Amino acid sequence: MTKTPLHILQRLWRDTGFALVLLVILLVVNLILNPTRFQPSAWGSLIGLAAPLIGAAVASAPVILGGRGGIDISVGPLMGFVNAIVIQLLFLKAGISSPFVIIPAALLIGAAIGAINGALTTLVRIQPIVATLGTYLVLTGVTLTILPAPIGPAPAWLKALAGPWSALPLIALFAAWWTIRRLPYYDQLMAIGSDDRAAYTAGVNVTRVRFIAYVITGVFAAIAGLMLTALIGSADPNIGQAYTLISIAAVALGGVSLAGGRGGLVGASIGAIDIFLLQSVLTAFNVSTYVLQIAYGAILVVAVILTAVQERAARGREV
Amino acid sequence: MAIVETRTGERPGTGFALRIRSSLAGTNGRILMAFLIAGVLHLVGTLVIPGYSSPFAIRALLVIAALLAVASIGQTLVVILGGIDLSIPFIIGFANVVAAQLYGDKWNFALVCLFVIVVAMLIGALNGYISRRLDIHPLIVTLGIGMIMQGSVLLWTAGFPSGSAPPYVSAFVSIGGSAGPLPFPWVVPALVVLAALIVVVLARTPYGRRLYALGSNPGAASLALIDPVRMWMLTFSLSAMFAAVTGILLLGFTGSAYGDVGQPYLFQTIAAVVVGGAALVGGRGSYLGTIAGVLVLTEINTLLIGLGFQPAAVQASLGAVIILLVSIYGREKHVSMTI
Repeated sequence: MTKTPLHILQRLWRDTGFALVLLVILLVVNLILNPTRFQPSAWGSLIGLAAPLIGAAVASAPVILGGRGGIDISVGPLMGFVNAIVIQLLFLKAGISSPFVIIPAALLIGAAIGAINGALTTLVRIQPIVATLGTYLVLTGVTLTILPAPIGPAPAWLKALAGPWSALPLIALFAAWWTIRRLPYYDQLMAIGSDDRAAYTAGVNVTRVRFIAYVITGVFAAIAGLMLTALIGSADPNIGQAYTLISIAAVALGGVSLAGGRGGLVGASIGAIDIFLLQSVLTAFNVSTYVLQIAYGAILVVAVILTAVQERAARGREV
Repeated sequence: MAIVETRTGERPGTGFALRIRSSLAGTNGRILMAFLIAGVLHLVGTLVIPGYSSPFAIRALLVIAALLAVASIGQTLVVILGGIDLSIPFIIGFANVVAAQLYGDKWNFALVCLFVIVVAMLIGALNGYISRRLDIHPLIVTLGIGMIMQGSVLLWTAGFPSGSAPPYVSAFVSIGGSAGPLPFPWVVPALVVLAALIVVVLARTPYGRRLYALGSNPGAASLALIDPVRMWMLTFSLSAMFAAVTGILLLGFTGSAYGDVGQPYLFQTIAAVVVGGAALVGGRGSYLGTIAGVLVLTEINTLLIGLGFQPAAVQASLGAVIILLVSIYGREKHVSMTI
């Protein structure tokens, strides 16, 4: 298949569908309501504001793509854990501010927690939602123990990653995924996600592929944790958990099937951007947080319904 | 239960160790194991903490466990069906706040309960309908609907709910209460009766058989003339109903309305169901197992708090213990065993 722009667009439409339409609509509404906020000069901080949610959604996707109930609800707490370690232990207690120590340390933590989740789900074979619920509780508890109350500040270079350099971590994230997509590993992951038994009989090492997916999710969540740290410029023990469910919602909104094997990280990030833009519209209207929450839930439900309906229509045409 | 038994048979083998292993992997083995662990935890608590088995402590434990057990009924049914219900904490909060508010507005309390339960059941039916009819993962649907509910309730009360429960509801769940000659409040014997009823419904009625059949094989069930959409609507509305009942009971327990009162129940109900031996892929699980899971969770919580752990440390240990327990007896089959 040749990859003309039209093909790419078609593919994007097939994978993300309604989320893409919503993105355009919300972008236009935002531009009309709040032009100053969306000016090119403000893009740095705007992207920085959206980055943690995008990161969390992208991080949640690989294990979901792996199928058979694959899910990682510890993504949010892992972001909070990285936030607490980087600021409280590394920056304030140990006095380390060099990005060449902090970034590898954060990635290593992410990989380690991802490996633990992977081992629990693929080797011990505990159901993913239960295993990661366990790590969710452990990480939340440990974070609160090492960091009982919010504390600051963050190193200047890290704060710049939510300002003028805010696109950098996102580019790193997508570059990493772009590379993975070019490896045979990606095809194996998608094959397992759609039918792990068939993939197994075809000689794919199902256990290893799923394990690696959890490590990828862990590393991506660590990057999201760094983006979160950059955004708040401090450490807060209670901020991470909120990202778990909303990132899974973003993933679903972006057309990634929670049954696995269908969708991609671009869709997941479109879903996340949708949610971010929606928040932005509603705050521009100055509505109370209660209305915000109702609209949040309503858009989520309506969006997944429309996606499902569109999918059915598409399937109907194919048959 | 026959369906359950046949599904859990693992690789055939001889030898005592293998037999033990396979019986542990069976549904009844898992339930037995969970009850055993709850008993061991209680024994440890009694030995280590003075007053752990005092009448008051046991009463408190039973009441807290009973409330979690009521909230977990719905999650059990939904999980057997192969779904998950994240709207339970939001519906608990909804029932809690709305019941208090309406009772404060001088409504008859029976009418209040009826209203709250009917609204909850309609919402539950909507959850089930959207999830099954459009094939959208219930995780997303129940989360979205739950968020709408929570926002609406907050909007209605402007964030400051008022009102309380009538005294007899408080007496029904009060730790100091008594049920006639029995030394605990009515909620405990009521739960025992309810549990027996649910076990019978699951094992002996067409509804129960359809639930297991649909959970273990969604494709084949419709060939057996089971209407999946109807079953999902019914089961999710039952789940919402028991969540609403929990919300009303919690109103009596805490004395005042609080919109977030249900939040701890989000993960606790799932944990209880899983520790009790149900598989989140559907077709497996039982309410007796959930009761065992509820007892294990409540024992761990009480034990850790009794040992002087901080709330954060209690949470971390709870997570570790859930993983440990499920890794002992809740392991899944390897993919090569599913072919």
